Amino acid sequence: MAASGLPPPPPLPPWTPEELLLAGGGEAVPKREIARFLQENAAHRFLAEHKLLGQLKNVAKTASKEQLVAAYNRLFETQSFKGTESPGDVVEQVKNVQIEEAKPKETKPQEAPEESPPKYTKLMLKKGDKVNFPKKGDTVHCWYTGKLQDGTIFDTNIQTSSKKKKASKPLSFKVGVGKVIRGWDEALLTMSKGEKAHLEIEPEWAYGKKGQPEAKIPPNAKLFFEVELVDIE
Amino acid sequence: MAEEELRAIIQRCQILDEEDFKGEDFDLFQVAGQKCLDEGYIAEILEVVQNEKNTVIVKNMGWNLTGPLIRCILKHEQDEVKRKQGLKILDKLVQLCSPKELVLGLLEQIEQASGEQACPTILLLLEPLQEVLLKLEKKKAYSVGLALSTILNQLSLLPVPYTKQQLEEDKHGLGQCCVALPWFVRPFVDEVVEHMADSSNEDCKGLKEELLDFCLKSMKYPLLMADLDPLPEGITAHPLRQFATDILDILRDLRELVPQVFSQHRSRSENWDDEDLMEIGSNQHADSLACLSYMVFVQDGFGIDCFPVVFSPSYILQNNIVHIRVLLKRQEESVLSKGLALLENCLLRLQNNSLLIESLDFKMFIAASEDLVRVATMCPFELLRKKSLNTLQLCIDKFEEEGKYILFRCLLQRSNHPGVEAYIIQNIKNQVDLSLRKTEDSKFFTGYSLVALLDIAFSLPDGATTDLLQNSDRIMAALNLLRYLFIKDKELENRTCVWSELQKIRQTFLKPLQIGLCMSRAHYKAEIKNRKENKGESHTSKKMPSVTIAGKKVAKMTSHMELHVLQSALVTFDLIESILARVEELTDTTCY
Repeated sequence: MAASGLPPPPPLPPWTPEELLLAGGGEAVPKREIARFLQENAAHRFLAEHKLLGQLKNVAKTASKEQLVAAYNRLFETQSFKGTESPGDVVEQVKNVQIEEAKPKETKPQEAPEESPPKYTKLMLKKGDKVNFPKKGDTVHCWYTGKLQDGTIFDTNIQTSSKKKKASKPLSFKVGVGKVIRGWDEALLTMSKGEKAHLEIEPEWAYGKKGQPEAKIPPNAKLFFEVELVDIE
Repeated sequence: MAEEELRAIIQRCQILDEEDFKGEDFDLFQVAGQKCLDEGYIAEILEVVQNEKNTVIVKNMGWNLTGPLIRCILKHEQDEVKRKQGLKILDKLVQLCSPKELVLGLLEQIEQASGEQACPTILLLLEPLQEVLLKLEKKKAYSVGLALSTILNQLSLLPVPYTKQQLEEDKHGLGQCCVALPWFVRPFVDEVVEHMADSSNEDCKGLKEELLDFCLKSMKYPLLMADLDPLPEGITAHPLRQFATDILDILRDLRELVPQVFSQHRSRSENWDDEDLMEIGSNQHADSLACLSYMVFVQDGFGIDCFPVVFSPSYILQNNIVHIRVLLKRQEESVLSKGLALLENCLLRLQNNSLLIESLDFKMFIAASEDLVRVATMCPFELLRKKSLNTLQLCIDKFEEEGKYILFRCLLQRSNHPGVEAYIIQNIKNQVDLSLRKTEDSKFFTGYSLVALLDIAFSLPDGATTDLLQNSDRIMAALNLLRYLFIKDKELENRTCVWSELQKIRQTFLKPLQIGLCMSRAHYKAEIKNRKENKGESHTSKKMPSVTIAGKKVAKMTSHMELHVLQSALVTFDLIESILARVEELTDTTCY
């Protein structure tokens, strides 16, 4: 949807500059009120920029009156009210999310461990030149045959018949960037130009629980490949 | 008479040398020949053409007769004898005449045939056309391309048979033509394949381009418009499905199948949404490539082994998101359903909660989810609306928390539809519930990130003057979420921050809501009182303009109906108020 619903009309400034800046005394607008107004009406990115995120009482305590007034004025200058975020903003913000409150129970989100044991094995069938190894992002060209545990060939790009008409060419793709199943990405980076290897890939680094029914790959299937790396670009 | 004229000109030309043929000779021949054919003297023409003495004449002037000859053959469709004779003449012309001229002659006939004659003409001429094109030897690429685009142009004017009955009837012959076309191009495909390795062969390169163009055009029309699902067993063959299979076959032979499937994949960084679409739209093959992806992934290549089984599911989704958007932007049922099917197919390859936003162009994905919302709310076909909503849920399910969070936030802010907003708010509730059941805090569904999301959920678009009825779905969902949070998240734990936000929520949501309820209630009660006092014919219906749908006038609302509507409004307000009261109850004793 292009121009979707209009955001609600922005609020009008509730206080005049004079009211805000009256030092001390009963007439002045307390910091807490200004801070509350800002938190209720300003867009998230504005609050982040002006360090106004977090629990109201903390913000009211830590920010100075001048800061709050400056932010208040800036808000109306830039019209950075809630509901004016574009999805691009949202994505940016989420990347920069800082959890302000120090919560005692807060733990870092669990990251997948970087060094997990490799879920494939490689057996070299033919040596490569041992000099040219592909790097992440290189385009590799290879011949391959894929089999299931029971020996069924589910895919290959090698022409077995001698029909010249259907001569095939090697599969080419960018390696190491997640375009292929993980087992392939990891294994090919360890192969040199000309190498031919036998790979056994655990389902976690292949098609996992879902498998690929149309391709005859059942769920949780271990895959067996013979791959020959013929060229690297 | 016509016979005699013809004999006369033939006699004259027999004694002349080729170079001495004059313009007027050609004209006379054509006129006489045409007359004969129009009057049905086919046997005579056949005789003339078969006579060896006339070879030179026929070779030079014969192609002028293609028009009247073809008209004649089609006219005498039912007459077995005449038809056979006509075909023999055509054969002879193909044998003797210059291929270049004949190609033009034949294509002209195809171009001029209209409506009911289009397919019969094409079917009649495919074989002679193929023969003639093959005679062009080394310079055929251009002519082949011209022939294919002429034929496809004609076919594009015909409606695509969609239902089983239409397919069986094939009223305009589109199905028949489509089945014949792959046969027609096969020799040219074979030629390209044979010389694939020879990079110096310019004609073959040109031929390959033309054949590729043909495939792409065919996918755009008629294949994109057709229902390509298999028919139930035992029914007649599905010509368009067969055609689609053949197109994939050709692409594979040309070694263009995999490259074309991946050709859309360019990284889109900053510009997106409508700008992206302009870029896609300007790509004339956007529709074709989208159809191709549908055929390869959803229809599994119709059983042809055409796609390598090594690509990761997230890459397949990434690659197809562009095509999905192209399809979802359209209005036709056949196209929309393909878009939804393709998206569903890609998503089902993934496990739940597995998709990271880094693995694809997430902004484009958000745009696609907005496309889904649009289809779910505005598409006139109920089945597609339902499917779109289900697919949206599937999208949500596949992403990890971060993706879910951003999707919720964007859709909540931008969908501008209370039903959709309610749906998203329910999803939020489910996610928070899941997060609270775990001991560690979620980065997105507890704590401050959640507050940013709740801010949007617990808001009234127009404050106290918000139309509560129109927004009742959303308001109820929000109140239910709020009630859930206060019950499930203990005040002392405050993992969702809902307790610390209570003041703000009261200020911006609960109080205005209460005020709004009072106002709305009062207003509706007054309306009800009004109606009850003015019994009988409704006052307002006298003022309302009449409404006609599909030619039938819609009955005006009776006063009784109006009362009913007003009463149910009050019931809705009661419901809202009861949850509001419960929330107040839960939060009454708080120290916040």
